[in-house]
Amino acid sequence: MTALAGKYKKLKDLHPEEAITPGTGLCAGCGGLDGLRLALKELGENVLICNAAGCFTLLSVYPFTPLKGSWLYTTMGAPVPAAQGVRDALDIRLQHRELPDKEDLLVMTVAGDGSSNDIGLGATSAALHRNLDFIYFCYDNEAYGNTGFQLSAASPYGSATQTAPNTEFHPAGTEFFKKDLFEIWKAQKPTYIATVSPREPIDLSNKFAKAKTMSGSRMFICMSPCPTGWGFDPKESDLIAKLAVDTGMFPIKEYFEGQVTHTKRPQRRLPVEKFLQRQKRFRHLFEPECRHDIIENIQSHVDEYWSHYE
Amino acid sequence: MKTDNKIMLTGNKAAAWGARMAQVEYVPAFPITPQTEIVETLAQWFADGTLQGKFTNMDSEHSMFMAAGAAAATGVRVFTASSSQGILHGMESLYTITGWRVPLVLVNVSRALATPITLEPDHNDVMSTRDCGLIQLHAETCQEIFDFILIGHKIAENPQVCLPVLVNMDGFYLSFTREPVLIPDKKTILKFLPLFEPVYPVFQASQPMARASAVFGGSTYSYFKMQHNLAAHHAEKVFNDATAEFSELFGRTYEPAEKFHMDDADFVFVMSNSFATKGKAAVLKLRQQGIKAGLLKIRLFRPFPVAFIAQALCGHERVAVIDQNLAPGMGGITYPEIVSSLYPYENRPKKIVSVIGGLGGKDITESDFMSIIDHMKNSDSKTPLYLFDQEDQRAFQRIQKIANVKKEVSSS
Amino acid sequence: MYRIRLHGRGGQGIKTASQILGTAAFYSGYQAQDFPLYGAERRGAPIVAFTRISEKPVLERGPISSPDIILVGDETLLDDPQAAPLCGADESTAVFINSTLETSVLQQQLHLSSSLLKLNLTELCIQHLNKGTVLSTALAAAGARLVGMITLEALLKAVDAELSQQGIGSIQENLNLTKEIFQNLFPVVLKPRKEKTISPSEIILMEQANIEEAAPIILSPGNMILRKTGNWRVQRPEIDYEHCNHCLICYARCPDGAISLGPDDKPEIDYDHCKGCLICAQECPGHFINTVREAGVES
Repeated sequence: MTALAGKYKKLKDLHPEEAITPGTGLCAGCGGLDGLRLALKELGENVLICNAAGCFTLLSVYPFTPLKGSWLYTTMGAPVPAAQGVRDALDIRLQHRELPDKEDLLVMTVAGDGSSNDIGLGATSAALHRNLDFIYFCYDNEAYGNTGFQLSAASPYGSATQTAPNTEFHPAGTEFFKKDLFEIWKAQKPTYIATVSPREPIDLSNKFAKAKTMSGSRMFICMSPCPTGWGFDPKESDLIAKLAVDTGMFPIKEYFEGQVTHTKRPQRRLPVEKFLQRQKRFRHLFEPECRHDIIENIQSHVDEYWSHYE
Repeated sequence: MKTDNKIMLTGNKAAAWGARMAQVEYVPAFPITPQTEIVETLAQWFADGTLQGKFTNMDSEHSMFMAAGAAAATGVRVFTASSSQGILHGMESLYTITGWRVPLVLVNVSRALATPITLEPDHNDVMSTRDCGLIQLHAETCQEIFDFILIGHKIAENPQVCLPVLVNMDGFYLSFTREPVLIPDKKTILKFLPLFEPVYPVFQASQPMARASAVFGGSTYSYFKMQHNLAAHHAEKVFNDATAEFSELFGRTYEPAEKFHMDDADFVFVMSNSFATKGKAAVLKLRQQGIKAGLLKIRLFRPFPVAFIAQALCGHERVAVIDQNLAPGMGGITYPEIVSSLYPYENRPKKIVSVIGGLGGKDITESDFMSIIDHMKNSDSKTPLYLFDQEDQRAFQRIQKIANVKKEVSSS
Repeated sequence: MYRIRLHGRGGQGIKTASQILGTAAFYSGYQAQDFPLYGAERRGAPIVAFTRISEKPVLERGPISSPDIILVGDETLLDDPQAAPLCGADESTAVFINSTLETSVLQQQLHLSSSLLKLNLTELCIQHLNKGTVLSTALAAAGARLVGMITLEALLKAVDAELSQQGIGSIQENLNLTKEIFQNLFPVVLKPRKEKTISPSEIILMEQANIEEAAPIILSPGNMILRKTGNWRVQRPEIDYEHCNHCLICYARCPDGAISLGPDDKPEIDYDHCKGCLICAQECPGHFINTVREAGVES
């Protein structure tokens, strides 16, 4: 049962306007960029993005901005406190300085998984504690992508990164399981949390449309296939995103009023190999010999997750 | 409480009153000794409706300075306060928001930096912000704290400055010390500092803009940094204009540095902040002993008032720059700044010595000032004078004995 | 000293080529220096790297503005004003282009005072490595041969060392490729460059600007559209409108928003900005988006 009915049924229903122009320096085939683009189609132009250091910092490089709305680059660890300052200042002006309502902005944080899971998590937790009225967009490419793909707390077990390479002594590469940011956020009971995928534009747009009508902290994790870091042909970006959902590795869900709902459930989950084998970061699980043990660990981790919901 | 009257206030309360009379609208806060009383007082005033706007409890100084800068970029009058480790923790945000070129006032209550962790003051904390592009005003008295907050907002909000202003006071020696402070009436203050109307583009729906975007290429970066430098330099003129207006309205005059018995002084102490009071007392006593001493107290530390300082010190025989900070491996931090200000002038002092004292709240005594005079007289004083005497040594050894008692047992 | 500038696109191995060159010169007993220029650009975006080779110590740092040799790995960059691979080329410069065209045709198009050389490296890469997209070995081999002072032995050793270090397989194939390119090219003789005397820069006294200009503030929302990323493309997607049923999947999937909707929801590709990721072609359910090699890239 979905928490809230969806506004959109088909692609024709998507908001026709773009709030972000082409021309940015982001990689060809960036999954996260499509996610942000679809989100901003829904959120519109009266948005201010407080950005954390990461790939998306390259969205606006002086003297250019792709946004029809506003942008404030902050630091890697404090995009959310900046959102707090902007939100507070707008509230003060609305309440005491006769700022017309139409001048109000939707305040948004755009941060990568490194900022979201690691250096900025403390400040985000504090903002959730204050129920900051904002939208958080985490583009999750499962590593520090902008610096050349190093381990973040969102890097999945079994993936190779520049700082967690697979070797004879560390055959898995990354030896820890990905931090469950959704559950961490959920523990603080924000207004709304959702995971989205650029491969599911209707689901994504419905979630942002819902979130737009709410107030308080509205948190998004966008699965962001990364051709450069994950090692696949850019054209396969959406195929990878699809396989992430179909294998159950990236659950598409939302949290609202205490309930978690899976909004795109894989019919019959595919084995995780289908997702893993198309990416260079997992190649060592298949070559020179198949590491069934590691793949099995990944599979059972996914199975364990779904055992609570299937 | 009457407002156009002198009342007994601690330095912290004077700071809170400064923010109150400046009608600040936004205070993001995080507690740290010895600053906490400032934000506690403001929290109370926002909570009971004395002040209109918002007080937000932040989760760290890194977050706090970021929220402060972002709010200033969105068009409200912002005030905040910190100290010591808090300044260091927030340093990245401080550099970030000064580069944004947004006005706000922050008070630093000086406290020495770890390690070892301590509570008492010296100036390494404020010196750590020396190069981040803030305007800095250093206060000697609780009255100066109050006045500097009003003047600080005026400078920060000048369209050709648009930079955060840091007002500095010493922890304990001012923060917790009460003395009479005159709070002028609201109407006159409004004449000096009207309600905040930003003169730069602020975030709102009708003004979409991108701020602080990444730059590539050294020329673009250099341009913005050099503009920042020009604005910081321009702040000296704005300081002089603001203090002239302040003097006219309130009767208190503030030059970039205060000259105390300087006219005929052969020996000049250069100091800042609350210990300047001790220096002034020493000057008076030394003069009774026939030593023509004087003191130059620096108020405006950034921009550094090079010409003013050169004019004040040239023609005097001997100068001692007393740094209550230490750059290990170098010495005092402000000493080279004073020396370089004087170097181009032919009639510069014959002798300029460096003195390091008052670290971690250690007193600078009358006798210390006499030792400094001797150091200035000594023709061989090429290295800094570190104020640490026999008594300090004995006191420390007594304590160290207790710390190392185990070692003694094992070696005996 | 030889100042060599290499041009290509992110992902083509341009940085590695500059390193193979540097290492080969080092193995040949010369002083060497190599470095890439990282910008805010990504895979597919124009990339530049540099190698300096000298008998005496190299007293230079940073980008090379007056190159002795320019190696252009990707000829689609030639008319790209941002990449400007021929910038600084004069009569003392040798320009090498990886091209399918004849030298005379290239010369006609480019009007260069520099000496011009070409070889179809992409073709050779396809022959030896089964793919024409990574040019690191080929471009380095071309450069090494043109400077003349690098021995084949040192070059082969450098190819082996650099590729092994990066964990790249097919070393033997790369060595064979190196040998073939080495045989196909000859050292160039460069006109000696006139040393310029030093004259002072025209230092200006900067004036203070208003805050809108003095701080990094952009007041033209959406002006990123002025920046064209169409030159990143190696292959272009072309919609077969005869069959296209306007399902809008390509429009939804384009990360850059380079597909807009015309009348009747007809998808239209903005070739000024399409980066050529080809997600649209991959995702089109009826396969009604064709993939066409950009002119000049064809092998």
